[in-house]
Amino acid sequence: MYLTKRSAARVLALVMATILAGLAPANAGPVSAPEFKVPVEYYKLPNGLRVVLSPDHTSPIICVGVYYHIGFRIEPRDRTGFAHLFEHMMFQGSQNLGKMEFIKLVQQNGGILNGSTRFDFTNYFETLPANKLETALWAEADRMGGLAVNEDNLKNQQGVVGNEVKVNVLNSPYGGFPWLDMPQYANTNWYNAHNFYGDLKDIEGATLPEVQSFFKTYYAPNNAALAIVGDFDPAQAKQFVAKYFGALKSSQLPPQPDLTEPRQEKEKQAIKKDPLATKPALALGYHMPERNTPEYYAMGLIDEMLIEGDDSVLHQELVQKRGYTGAVSGGINLLGTPWNYDGPMLFITNMIHDPATTPETIVQTIATSIEPLRTKPVDQKMLDRALVKLRSDLYDTIGGQGGFGLVDLLASFALFDDNPARVNSLVAEYEKVTPALIQKTAQEYLRPENRTVLLIQPGAQAPPAATAKPAGDSEKKQ
Amino acid sequence: MTSTRTTKLFLTSAIFVFAAASHASAQAPAASQKQTPPPGGAAKPFNVPAHESYTLPNGMRVTLVPYGNIPKVAVSLAIRAGNLNEPQDVLGVADITGELLKEGTKTLSSQALAEAVAQMGSSLSVTVGADETAIDVDVLSEYGGRAVTLISDVAMHPLLPESELARLKANLLRQVLVAKSRPSQMALARFRKLLYGDHPYGEILPTEASLKKITIDDARKFYAANYGAERAHLYVAGKFDVAEVKKAIAAGFSDWSKGTPPVLNVPHPKTERLLDVTDRPGAPQSTIYVGLPVIDPTNPDNIPLTVTNALLGGSFSSRITSNIREQKGYTYSPTSQLSRRYHDAYWAEIADVTTAATGPSLKEIFGEIDRLQKEPPGAAELKGIQSYMSGLFVIQNSTRQALIGQLRNVDLQGLGEDYLKNYVQRVNAVTPEDVQRMTAKYIKPEQMTIVVVGDKSKITDQLAPYAALPETAK
Repeated sequence: MYLTKRSAARVLALVMATILAGLAPANAGPVSAPEFKVPVEYYKLPNGLRVVLSPDHTSPIICVGVYYHIGFRIEPRDRTGFAHLFEHMMFQGSQNLGKMEFIKLVQQNGGILNGSTRFDFTNYFETLPANKLETALWAEADRMGGLAVNEDNLKNQQGVVGNEVKVNVLNSPYGGFPWLDMPQYANTNWYNAHNFYGDLKDIEGATLPEVQSFFKTYYAPNNAALAIVGDFDPAQAKQFVAKYFGALKSSQLPPQPDLTEPRQEKEKQAIKKDPLATKPALALGYHMPERNTPEYYAMGLIDEMLIEGDDSVLHQELVQKRGYTGAVSGGINLLGTPWNYDGPMLFITNMIHDPATTPETIVQTIATSIEPLRTKPVDQKMLDRALVKLRSDLYDTIGGQGGFGLVDLLASFALFDDNPARVNSLVAEYEKVTPALIQKTAQEYLRPENRTVLLIQPGAQAPPAATAKPAGDSEKKQ
Repeated sequence: MTSTRTTKLFLTSAIFVFAAASHASAQAPAASQKQTPPPGGAAKPFNVPAHESYTLPNGMRVTLVPYGNIPKVAVSLAIRAGNLNEPQDVLGVADITGELLKEGTKTLSSQALAEAVAQMGSSLSVTVGADETAIDVDVLSEYGGRAVTLISDVAMHPLLPESELARLKANLLRQVLVAKSRPSQMALARFRKLLYGDHPYGEILPTEASLKKITIDDARKFYAANYGAERAHLYVAGKFDVAEVKKAIAAGFSDWSKGTPPVLNVPHPKTERLLDVTDRPGAPQSTIYVGLPVIDPTNPDNIPLTVTNALLGGSFSSRITSNIREQKGYTYSPTSQLSRRYHDAYWAEIADVTTAATGPSLKEIFGEIDRLQKEPPGAAELKGIQSYMSGLFVIQNSTRQALIGQLRNVDLQGLGEDYLKNYVQRVNAVTPEDVQRMTAKYIKPEQMTIVVVGDKSKITDQLAPYAALPETAK
């Protein structure tokens, strides 16, 4: 009954390079890394639902995630924030579960649950004691099968979501900085550049027929992936999946709009006044290479080299040597991971600084620190260290949050690549990156013309920083 | 805990739904047509993963927890040196000392240290809390022994260099100023100050004047007085070579001087009704902290009170959350908590509510407390909460970092080896009458401190009824 089947035997074994170089303390020297892979079984139901199974008997818990290929990127144009508001509605009632009975069902069976709205998917997931797998699958199939919500539910959740936007953005210093702001300034295509959380007016204006139509359009098995991770028997899980999801009808999906961003040819600058902030802040956003290209993997390692960890170039230059800030933050996909999106993306770095340091000084220091990556092949030792950090991060993602970290990878790769086994070949892809490729990638994607600079000016007493004197290294603090 | 990727967590949760239970909607399909959820199979047994604990001759405690199949190992050194131990005139010195630990050892510069940890796949994290400072790394499995050696070097031979002090103080000051602009931090700081007064637990954000005064001698003195083997407990959890790690522990830590035993300074927080409003003109929401001191975690009522909290406001399906979120739509993420320090705890309900709903939210919060004081919860409602807590306990013991967190809490509070073993059983032994009794005995509105950060011009009238106690309650 399955259209596609990939057995665990096809999963690529990870080829772990032995990575270690000079600077370790006392007992430095090569240590061999153990091989690590996760089981991945993948198939599709006749109705198009993508199913991924990955058993792990470490702890008697299971995690179930249902991912719908509808994120805030392609929500309706006159209804910013609608994809997220809709996500809330999925907790308000389905065919067999009334308002919030879904949540009670999970909690009273000893589980935790949540949902989230991201660039290219909306997900719903629960972690439960292992013996509750059937209960969870029944409940997720029930809400995939139909929404049963009314005007009161919508009004209530418009209030809740309005409060969510207030607590996270409107009543918060640095609210929306840079995760919500930067895409709006750096991107040009509406789908990538609108307010994903939503204008309060749009959220408040949403109607029940719009909710129902959105469900009908996007919440169908052929637009979804189901991932199950944890302590379960795959044969039994397949029976449950067939029993509860098998009868659901597929739908005719609308064509995907054009999401592409043009190559950015000129640096952009934006200033946002923040009356609640007490210190200025700065963010740089660079358009990323297309997903899953060699340059994309190179950019993952550039992220590790430039901003991840205390050994990173920007931490050393901006925090350690110059004291411009206490922490350099950022990464690839601030609303997720480098692995769970499917469209244009930004690499962002951001920091809060003192008014005594001008933004020009910081931008110039960043540019100077980045320049060696663009002009010569990177030191192999530094590249090796970046790879170790990346591998360690990936394992944290796989092992995190009661199985949810792995669910997220498997469901994303099933939905976006039709290949969840990618989880086991990711490290090998990053290992292919050479110093020459790093240089080539940095030349194109770390071009000054490819960046957007966003400044936060605090309160009423904001200094005229944007027009201040030219940048330089003269303001070193030590 | 520690990862090289340090910045994503709050952003990832930014668009999360947090939901709560309520009544079935009026237009849902009739109950008779509905299917019943399948109950699932028989429960699988769960035991807290076994751990091995021992003490080095110098008094340092060690706990090893081989766990899981992810090829990583967390190494965490908890030291009883926290904000509690700061001298009154140099508040913030524990934090500065913690930051200085990352600035190099007698044999490794700060950059060499950062690179050494990165080469194991981690960052060095130093977290200073009210009671403890924790030094953490979370490395690839093959580096377990080296990580132990490195942490021993950081804890025992830090350079504490004067050259970095001004920068670290500027960083901390910037952090404090930013924190003071966040309504949640403003409210928490006021709440703690009002509850604990001049006790160190009352000062969560040191002042600029206090921070500026700190000298390198203050930090070195703080280190000498508070860091030592007798104050320290090393936890290693995850996938690692036990023999190699034990060898590294013996080699790395045996020479650490014993130091002095932990300083005990349990506070006597305030238990009087008080309303405190901080003006935040134009704020679209009011940030509310309402609560009072409660029994410490060693009290036999601790677990019944924990169950009571989960039912009242501490879970998705709790009464207060159902009321002010799912029925009224006043707020997004209300929660009640039992916040604990060494032999000290308070209960608080925390919520950011629409400005116009400030008074109405307090009315509902107190109303739910009152209802639970007067009437025990239904057996099914309580059973639901108990099942939730039992399941949550398994989930909470399913990662190496969470295991360390559980064990650290048991060790800090002195709850005993059996605490985790008997936890689920004790949770399930709580009765509806216990919950009512706990509410009446400990969650007393007439003793609560109410902190509100919001637009005074719009909330003063709404708050008037809560400024003083009604005569009947005095």
